[in-house]
Amino acid sequence: MTTHVPNVNHRFNALTINRLGLWLFLVSDASFFIALISSRFFVVGTSRPEGVNQPLGLGLTILLLVSSLTAYRAEAAAEHGDRDGALKMLLATIGMGIVFIVGVGFEWAEAMSHFPPSSAFGTVLFTLTGVHVTHVLTGVLALVFVYFRMRNTAPEVDNQWGVEGAVKWWHFVDVAWVFIYPTLYLLG
Amino acid sequence: MHTLQESLKLGWVVILALAVLTAIEFVVAIATKDELLFVLLLVVALVKAWLIIQYFMHFGQLWQHVSNAWYGMLYDSDEEDED
Repeated sequence: MTTHVPNVNHRFNALTINRLGLWLFLVSDASFFIALISSRFFVVGTSRPEGVNQPLGLGLTILLLVSSLTAYRAEAAAEHGDRDGALKMLLATIGMGIVFIVGVGFEWAEAMSHFPPSSAFGTVLFTLTGVHVTHVLTGVLALVFVYFRMRNTAPEVDNQWGVEGAVKWWHFVDVAWVFIYPTLYLLG
Repeated sequence: MHTLQESLKLGWVVILALAVLTAIEFVVAIATKDELLFVLLLVVALVKAWLIIQYFMHFGQLWQHVSNAWYGMLYDSDEEDED
């Protein structure tokens, strides 16, 4: 049988496989978050105890959303060969990620007195934020790796996939928080 | 492919939409204890997630890869059959 598509192997290139693999991983990881978020409704229903720091939750949300913009700009800059712009935006994203982790630390210190991990809401809050902040930490590490790799290699070296992969992971962490934030801080 | 300027402009539009939606969900949650709050928050969260996935994560390009991979498998199989 003859085929009308020349050079079919180019369709199966490394970038296709990388992107498909990452998306499959993200979907499987999303199911983990869905299970954790639904556990909130199983354990404490839709009620929210007094003492939840809503302004802090809002601040963390704004921080993560803005960091998604800088991550997006880093990817766009890398794609268009603007190496300095990409490095700057990666650094900004890393900085905001670190501030987010510190913010969650404050949240935990405060939450300990209102709802300790042994309480029902405490269990939900510490589990959800704990799993999420672990993802944030891995995202920061991935971005730090990509940042130094880009900075220490020659400009002509292609770092596009590295930046894209780390940035996609960062956006995924942001999407997870988009659902965790109302679940913990707003509902009830 | 977008130019760099177009990409940056798109980023600002998306973050503006995300900011407005975040403000709406915060105000609604503070102002109301209605039973519909859950539904409202879920809808806002879904729209925010869609904005990030569609525009920041380039979800559209995924379909191109899926079809490429699928055609790649089909045509590779055909070629193997020939051999």
